[in-house]
Amino acid sequence: MINEDRVILMTKMASYEKGPGKKNVAIGNYFRGDYIGFQVLKSIISVTVAFMIVAGIYMFYHFETIMQEVYNMDMIETGKDVLRIYLIVVVIYGVLSYLIYSYRYHKARRSLKNYYMNLRKLSQMYED
Amino acid sequence: MTSLLAAKQYIQNFIVKYEIYLLPLGKLLIALITLLMINSKIGYMARLDNMAIVLIVALMCSFMPMNFIIIVSAAFVVLHLYEVSLECAAVVLAIFLLMYLLYYRFSPKDTLVVVLTPLCFQFGIPYVIPLTMGLIGGPVSAVSVACGVAVQFVISYIADNAAAISGIAEEDMAAKFRYVIDGIINNKTMIVTIAAFAITVIIVYIIRRLAIDHAWVIATVSGAMINIMVLLLGDLILDATVSVPGAILGTVVSFGIVKIVEFFVFHVDYNRSESVQFEDDEYYYYVKAIPKISLAAPSKTVKKIHASKKRVR
Repeated sequence: MINEDRVILMTKMASYEKGPGKKNVAIGNYFRGDYIGFQVLKSIISVTVAFMIVAGIYMFYHFETIMQEVYNMDMIETGKDVLRIYLIVVVIYGVLSYLIYSYRYHKARRSLKNYYMNLRKLSQMYED
Repeated sequence: MTSLLAAKQYIQNFIVKYEIYLLPLGKLLIALITLLMINSKIGYMARLDNMAIVLIVALMCSFMPMNFIIIVSAAFVVLHLYEVSLECAAVVLAIFLLMYLLYYRFSPKDTLVVVLTPLCFQFGIPYVIPLTMGLIGGPVSAVSVACGVAVQFVISYIADNAAAISGIAEEDMAAKFRYVIDGIINNKTMIVTIAAFAITVIIVYIIRRLAIDHAWVIATVSGAMINIMVLLLGDLILDATVSVPGAILGTVVSFGIVKIVEFFVFHVDYNRSESVQFEDDEYYYYVKAIPKISLAAPSKTVKKIHASKKRVR
């Protein structure tokens, strides 16, 4: 005999595994610090690339002025300025992505907990 | 109204039943229209402006994930612009990369908007996008819509100035580069439109979430009005070139379209339908699960036209 409750529960769980669960299980395999750290690192890399693109565009845009000024410029001071801007951008972006990913981790964990509870319920049904 | 509901029910059933075929078909259509639009607007590279290539790529898109359409479209745009000048292609590629690195990495759900917004601009109904995204998206969708608007204006700026850009001497790369960047940054119409659309998305979203009756209708109406107002204000303050009658007419038409979209999409739950398979010790299960749709069944009222009359003789 097909146990209807079991089929319904299994269907729901299988559809969870196929849909949002897939991502959540992947997230759940990490410890909290590992997951968030990894994501923040990825964010920092991408913001670095973005910063380099913008800086490249800026430099190319002001190509002639830079070429004229290059001998009068205080290289160390300019470098410090650029580094300062870069650090500010990175910190803002890093904090932002830390917040986003800790929220996502929290949500995934909660939803996985629900899933494991259903799993236990299912195994209970088989024992009955 | 009942016949409309019945029609909706019918369409809904049809979509649920043939979802497997309709989804790739939809992707194929979006990809096809997008690529054809790109080719007709900036079809500078003769090798890409070819129906066979467009068809093959669109077919590929139909069985790839949705985001593939965006990658393909971006590649088409950059390649076409490369034919105009290397600098154009570089600038636009940089813009696309920045969008990906800074925003789309976080919210891959909204990516399609960046393609749909320019499409709606081409059809003359751009106001559909902020209204719809306010209804079905979140406040963050404002950024997606802004990206879409930026893409539209950048492409049309380059399309309008292609001759001037390729007219600048080949050796003067920096001048060409500056010309392209200046044109993109100093486009006041673009800034006004981005502001108007972003504000519209946020306002529509906020009102839709309010716990009031008819929140959706109120959200759409006020969103449409705020959109026009911001466009007019921006037009006055920044001296941009926003066509005012066009904006009003476009908003009215868009409002109608959004109402239709709302009627069909927001009550149809076909994308929650699931087909899954699994097994236990005794059986294999092949299950297609479709969530119940809570809709009042079209009620039939019997109206007597020929009431039995008493005959008097």
